[in-house]
Amino acid sequence: MTARVSLAGVSFSYAGAGRAALSGVSLEIAAGEIAFVSGASGAGASTLLLVATGLAPRLVGGTLTGQRTIGARRCGIVFARPWTQLTGLCSTVRDEVAFGPACAGRPIAEVMAATARAMEQLGVAHLADRDPAHLSGGELQRVVVAAALALEPELLALDDPAAELDPVGADALYAFLPSLAAAGTAILLATPDEERAARVATHLIVLERGAVVFAGNPAGAMDTRVGAIARAAGCPPPYPPDVPALLARIAPDAGGRAHDTSDAPPAGSGPGTGAAAR
Amino acid sequence: MIGYVEGRSPLHRAHPYTTLSLAGAVLLAAFAMTEPATVWLLVLAGAVLAATGGVLRSSARTALILSLPIWVLLFVLHGLLGGGARFSVGPLSLSGPGVARALVLGGRVTAIVLGFLTALATTSPHRLVEAMTARGVPFGRTFLLASTLTVLPRMRERATHILEAQQCRGLRLGGSVAARVRALGPLALPLILGALAEVDEQVLALDVRGAAGAGRRTALDPPPDTGGQRTLRWGLLVLVAAAYAWKFWRMRG
Repeated sequence: MTARVSLAGVSFSYAGAGRAALSGVSLEIAAGEIAFVSGASGAGASTLLLVATGLAPRLVGGTLTGQRTIGARRCGIVFARPWTQLTGLCSTVRDEVAFGPACAGRPIAEVMAATARAMEQLGVAHLADRDPAHLSGGELQRVVVAAALALEPELLALDDPAAELDPVGADALYAFLPSLAAAGTAILLATPDEERAARVATHLIVLERGAVVFAGNPAGAMDTRVGAIARAAGCPPPYPPDVPALLARIAPDAGGRAHDTSDAPPAGSGPGTGAAAR
Repeated sequence: MIGYVEGRSPLHRAHPYTTLSLAGAVLLAAFAMTEPATVWLLVLAGAVLAATGGVLRSSARTALILSLPIWVLLFVLHGLLGGGARFSVGPLSLSGPGVARALVLGGRVTAIVLGFLTALATTSPHRLVEAMTARGVPFGRTFLLASTLTVLPRMRERATHILEAQQCRGLRLGGSVAARVRALGPLALPLILGALAEVDEQVLALDVRGAAGAGRRTALDPPPDTGGQRTLRWGLLVLVAAAYAWKFWRMRG
């Protein structure tokens, strides 16, 4: 598969920072892969997204060493705070989403087609004529993701993209990612929402103080992290267990809501978990 | 009130270049006028412009508030301390040429402020961006101008939110002048630091979306421009040139 971005021994330090935000990171994200970047706050996940999309050090400043190759012709990035990503110049959601393709100088018909498609994919077509400044946080978050998609990026970096979404909206967003990846987009996902991310990720990168401490199949990692907890609680495999399975084990008499799922299908079995650790 | 106000007046519907040209013409003409009567005709023209845009009350009030300190300063400097023939108003002895000078300078400031407040209130930043994009103006310049037009309303909105939050945490806004000055800290710091932090992310998001690209951006919905409006803009240019020609001709005479 085509590598959308590859890093070999990349280290990155912000200007004036005492220690490196990324240290000796090597990874490769190919078309169709969803790489979930996990780690404690400050571990360097957001920085990794900035480096992978070429924004650091070009705009962020700092020093980058090592080999970085960005194969993606177009990159998109979405941050956790959607209101900071608005142009502030567009009076409708349609124009906001169309901003990226319009900047590329594409013909107006193509711009509008890409815009309509992105709004449809994110379920914001009904907001097309609304002023972005008057949307709720959740609506706005979907709009900024649509704006990133309208660019038709080959590499999409999502930094906690569901921070403003309600659980239903977050589920819908994560459920959409595999189809986007299947269309050839490489997705780099950093979020504290491990449960949802693990369901869709094909590849897991765990960072600790800027260094990669695990890279490989998310199922394997979950077996070692969440799985350890589940095992300690006496839950049967597969890991990670789903919530009803946990409830059934911990509180079997919880008003009938919980049920024994000892032979239930594996939860969180996202698409394609076959990405090899690099 | 400073910033765009939704509306359907002729100025709102006009091409943004026309509205800005009107404000620009008031600015340039103000410096060509040297007599109190002509300067105050220009103030009147500014008021007519504001009334046409349906924003006379708000623009005139803001213009008055903004130019009042300048009026006081001009009155003291030229009216009270100025030289030449003097006349009395109650206990005050005023300079005749000084008062005339203050009226000219103050009138200029008022006309310019009124003209630009009207342009700000009736020019949609979005339509301005589209108009400039259609003319092939690089996005960097477009963004700079449009951001300047929108920065005050955005800062005001942000300040309102911060004030509400700080009041919830016990900040008292009333009381003595000293107390009010002390209350500025909890408002100003989050206002400035928050704005700077968000600008960082906005720059990244805009860059990824191609805002810094060198190519020509596609205009999505450029506002229509008419022959009549183009003629009006050229006419304004001719009028301003004529006003300066008149000024220099009189100076030589």
